[in-house]
Amino acid sequence: MAKKIPIGPFHPILEEPEFFELHVEGERVVKIDQTIGWSHRGIELLSEHKTWDQVPFLVERICGICSCSHPYAYVKAVEDLCQVEVPLRAQFIRCIAAELERLHSHLLWTGLAGHFLGYNTVFMWTWKFREPLLDVLEAVTGNRNHYAVMRPGGVRRDLPAEEIPNILKLLDRLEKENDLLTKAIVDDPVIHARTKGVGVFDKANCRLYGALGPTARSAGYDIDARRDHPMDAYDKVSFKVILCEHGDVFDKAVVRQLENFESIKIIRQCLSLISDTKAGDICAEIREVPPGEGLGMYEAPRGEVLHYVRSNGGNMPIRHKVRAPSFNNILTNNVSVPGNTVSDAGLITAAVDPCYSCTERVGVVDCRSGGRRVLTEADIVRLSHERTEEIRRRLAAEAGRE
Amino acid sequence: MEREEVKRRIAERFGAKVKIAERSPKRVYVYAENEIWVDLARFLFEELDARFDTGAAVDDREGVEVMFFMPFDREHYYVTIKTFAAKPHPTLDSITPVIPGANWIEREMFEMYEVNFRNHPDLRPVLRADTRPADFYPAKREVKDGLPLVRNRDDGDWRADEVAGRPPKGKNP
Repeated sequence: MAKKIPIGPFHPILEEPEFFELHVEGERVVKIDQTIGWSHRGIELLSEHKTWDQVPFLVERICGICSCSHPYAYVKAVEDLCQVEVPLRAQFIRCIAAELERLHSHLLWTGLAGHFLGYNTVFMWTWKFREPLLDVLEAVTGNRNHYAVMRPGGVRRDLPAEEIPNILKLLDRLEKENDLLTKAIVDDPVIHARTKGVGVFDKANCRLYGALGPTARSAGYDIDARRDHPMDAYDKVSFKVILCEHGDVFDKAVVRQLENFESIKIIRQCLSLISDTKAGDICAEIREVPPGEGLGMYEAPRGEVLHYVRSNGGNMPIRHKVRAPSFNNILTNNVSVPGNTVSDAGLITAAVDPCYSCTERVGVVDCRSGGRRVLTEADIVRLSHERTEEIRRRLAAEAGRE
Repeated sequence: MEREEVKRRIAERFGAKVKIAERSPKRVYVYAENEIWVDLARFLFEELDARFDTGAAVDDREGVEVMFFMPFDREHYYVTIKTFAAKPHPTLDSITPVIPGANWIEREMFEMYEVNFRNHPDLRPVLRADTRPADFYPAKREVKDGLPLVRNRDDGDWRADEVAGRPPKGKNP
């Protein structure tokens, strides 16, 4: 009889609502049961009561971190429905805003993962590096979050030419800082011991479970909507899709860190190409939306976001389906958590960078005694810190023996 | 696999049981009959090597249109497979035994639209609170004799006005 450990109602690391019930035998997890939907806000239904132009303001509130990706996928769906060509300048501005968002999202995840592992310095560094990024986003779009930059046909706000040198300066600095962080992660023997081989989700399972984004790419499953379904300026710039092969927590961290360099590369190219475009030409006019259906997708920091809209020719969508990447990625925990210990479970469930608003509780059920207890956030973080400390002491002892 | 090749192979395999339409070079729609629904998904996923993305449902008064999005990433286009589950009790075969990734999206369609997926391993609601009435499907438009169905709200109040799109009586709209 397995023991069950409930974790939640808030994720121990990411402060978002989800309930996990871990079925354990001793320290080892044998099964995980996940419940989502604790912050179901009826966005799809709300969207059916807003005009085509109002919906981007709504969908960017699906997630505070992906507040560029959701409107991006939505406007692509409307543009697919209307078959509209977006002005070149707007295409570059969209890419710049979206890649800046990816940078701050990946930095945020690295910081939180550092905190969970017991590396609070990493946590503080990443938040320090991330802050100027938000300032630049404010300069480019007008807001630190919820940028309100996308609209069907283009963007709402032109990029002021005087901001370009500031962005380039930030990118130079960020590149060095990201390099420092990447080396700190890749060279640390304790992080290797703590995250390698933990929470493995292989390539074959990625295909079966529809894993997306860094979760899929860390296992070598080569998908990236920016390259596979080229939109806007992404076919005018060159970038590499970062792949690893093991699909464990370590590879997921490495993919995100290396993707930061690619984002910096993309923004630099966009900033260089945007100077050839006409200032002010940022939106194509959409007079009316014809009856029919449109499908839009964008590679958000966590994976592909997909929006489906249907129109009857009126001024509102009659159906709007939103699929956030976490919906597919959280399902992968069913495979990647069993076989690991309770102290690793929190880390693995966080490694997919879940975004629950787009979807915390852990219950532990002892398979032998049938006993049941609830772990709090502090318990989970303490277990994780103890495990890191244990690995650190073991490695130090081994080094001492040598 | 190229678009034309995919269209040809689907037409060859399923004949008159599917209708293929194309809205743009990047979007192919395949309308299938209920009986070949799972075979079509399996054919695309296993033989033609499409990726499984997600699904969606649209209430059409007479029934629920269920669709799954299956992209061909290397060739940059999406195939959307669709079928129609008729009311009053929309029922379809589940594709979860073939594609485990469809598990939660089918559960979501079940709880929102009452699409009953046969052979689904665990057809429970995935999003809604446990306190919701079991027979309430939030996104399903319930119609009887051409009129919206009268139904009591969770708090026991009558909600027919809201269903019909009129402001509730006695309240300032």
